[in-house]
Amino acid sequence: MSDWKLHTPNGVNDILPEECSIKKEIESTIWSVFTSIGYKEVETPSFEYYDCYIGTGGQISQETMFKFFDEQGRILTLRSDFTTSIARMAATKEADKVMPLRYMYTGNVFRAEQTQGARRREFTQSGIELIGSYSPAADAEVISAAIEAIMAVGIEDFSMEIGQVAFFNGLVEQAGLDEALTEKLRERIDSKDSVGIKTIVNKLDIDDDIKNLMIELPYLFGDLNTIEKAYVNGLNETSKLALDNLKRIYELLCLYGFEKYISIDLGMLQSIDYYTGSIFKCYTHGVGFPICAGGRYDKLMGRFGAPKGAVGVAIGINRIMTALGRKASEGVSASLIFAEKNAEGIAYELAYNLRVNGCLVEMYIGDGDYRDAEEYSNRTDIGCMLRVFPDGKLQIKDFTKQEIIETTANAFLGYYEDDCCDDDCGCGHDHHDGHHHHDCDCC
Amino acid sequence: MRYLTVALAKGRLAELAMDIFTQIGMDCAEMREKTRKLIFTDEVNKMKFILVKASDVPTYVEYGAADIGIVGKDTILEECRNLYEMVDLGFGKCKMAVCGPVELKGKLDKITNLRVASKYPHIALKYFQDDKGQTIDIIKLNGSVELAPLVGLSDVIVDIVETGKTLKENGLDVLEDVCPLSARFVVNKVSMKMEKERIMHIVEEFTKLTEAE
Repeated sequence: MSDWKLHTPNGVNDILPEECSIKKEIESTIWSVFTSIGYKEVETPSFEYYDCYIGTGGQISQETMFKFFDEQGRILTLRSDFTTSIARMAATKEADKVMPLRYMYTGNVFRAEQTQGARRREFTQSGIELIGSYSPAADAEVISAAIEAIMAVGIEDFSMEIGQVAFFNGLVEQAGLDEALTEKLRERIDSKDSVGIKTIVNKLDIDDDIKNLMIELPYLFGDLNTIEKAYVNGLNETSKLALDNLKRIYELLCLYGFEKYISIDLGMLQSIDYYTGSIFKCYTHGVGFPICAGGRYDKLMGRFGAPKGAVGVAIGINRIMTALGRKASEGVSASLIFAEKNAEGIAYELAYNLRVNGCLVEMYIGDGDYRDAEEYSNRTDIGCMLRVFPDGKLQIKDFTKQEIIETTANAFLGYYEDDCCDDDCGCGHDHHDGHHHHDCDCC
Repeated sequence: MRYLTVALAKGRLAELAMDIFTQIGMDCAEMREKTRKLIFTDEVNKMKFILVKASDVPTYVEYGAADIGIVGKDTILEECRNLYEMVDLGFGKCKMAVCGPVELKGKLDKITNLRVASKYPHIALKYFQDDKGQTIDIIKLNGSVELAPLVGLSDVIVDIVETGKTLKENGLDVLEDVCPLSARFVVNKVSMKMEKERIMHIVEEFTKLTEAE
């Protein structure tokens, strides 16, 4: 029997300081990008009623949700998707606000993935939802925001693939496929299984152009020409409108200057059932999964009583970290303050003043003497030691420059103690610069 | 140029796949030597070949540790990984079938709590549960599956049938076909996007060669 208290469960991890600082930096970079585009941060609960997620399907199916019960026996679910929670929030609390609503979020989602260990069951997503618009300009805004965010964290070589779910839906509608067969065809197209597609399609009694298009669908990816190729004769209105919409989004993104990052993939179909229009996934080297994914979900808000067009994207922070590799950011080295006996007060004030000025200051709290503190500094990433004496004297030892400076705590902070005392300090506050902000009882 | 990594299912499939890779101008000579090496490199074409256990091929490809994989459809169905299945290579042809004593032919639907032994529990479950709507008991085995009905461990088995010889020798027969199988060319979804030209080139070459046969 293993000693479980020493282990973390499958699929969850501790994030240690070095990794955590990288993660927070990525999150804050993405936060700044989204904020600057007008997205306002929100938080939704870490668990919701199971009913909230029912019918989401695909990646977020019943099997992948962590469930438990409240005291009345209702089923609760750990948040397995942000978009659903935010749609619920917006539909029930902010539906009468001026549209569009722009929300951003960063937080963890939980999925009970079946795989053994290697796939995370808790991971961090940072994303945006743009609610209250059916315009392709909204899709383009969300996609471009995602691209900006990915570039801002330092990933240059990536590909944003854009598809259109409604195009496939139109084809299926036209062919009159039932739900089960549609799902089969969807799976096969999504995995580019041309053999499997042919077996289904060849049995159908439909126009040859449409038949060929379905078989060709897995290979319909590339630039704008891809869309042109898909405009075959006999497309129904749904499919045609879907292509027009995709074309417009693509054109807008080109105008914004993102042509080299985007690509069309008509064979990419939804992984979550609520997507109704454009869908997009972003890929980069070194990560076997998309680093971000999103799409348009025009029916989801309606489920919560406020039908509205909406589009969103989520960036997988853990995957971004994998993509960036172990590029540890240059950590800021801390200074260590060692207080001699009876100098604790001065030492704390010194620490406080340095901290408010943006320095990273650590206090030595060991029982040892100065030598022990020095030993501790050598074993950690302390860059500099400040030894404070009860009379206000200060000895600074800089480990990188290998030098020792003798001064006083006040002088180091720029109080100019000497000046102060020479100026017949009565005290008429006649001190020549702004540094003098202590209560003047210096003489 | 980055290396493209190909994961090959150890054994006969790897041999046949190497023939095709050689035909389209890749250097697989190193792999044909009897060594214990697991990674082989073609520096000219910037290709790496790795030899792994068949059931691990989809895992390597899904996670992007390999960009391309050559593996049987049975493994793909059993592993249920998220990847692109681009070409049916046409070799390694056989089928997945429900097998058991001849007396059971046509009677499977009437047995409640049918006990099914298989090396492919996922395929078996999917076939009975989703396709036929029948609830069954699965017994996962790792080899000599034919033994299970003979010693009363299960009523039937779900297994790969090539010639049916092993079955016959053990007094079993094919009762129902589940699906046809053959080797497939699979691709990681990210690699497909990031290395579109190189991978599509290989895909086209493979399609040409396998369709010609």
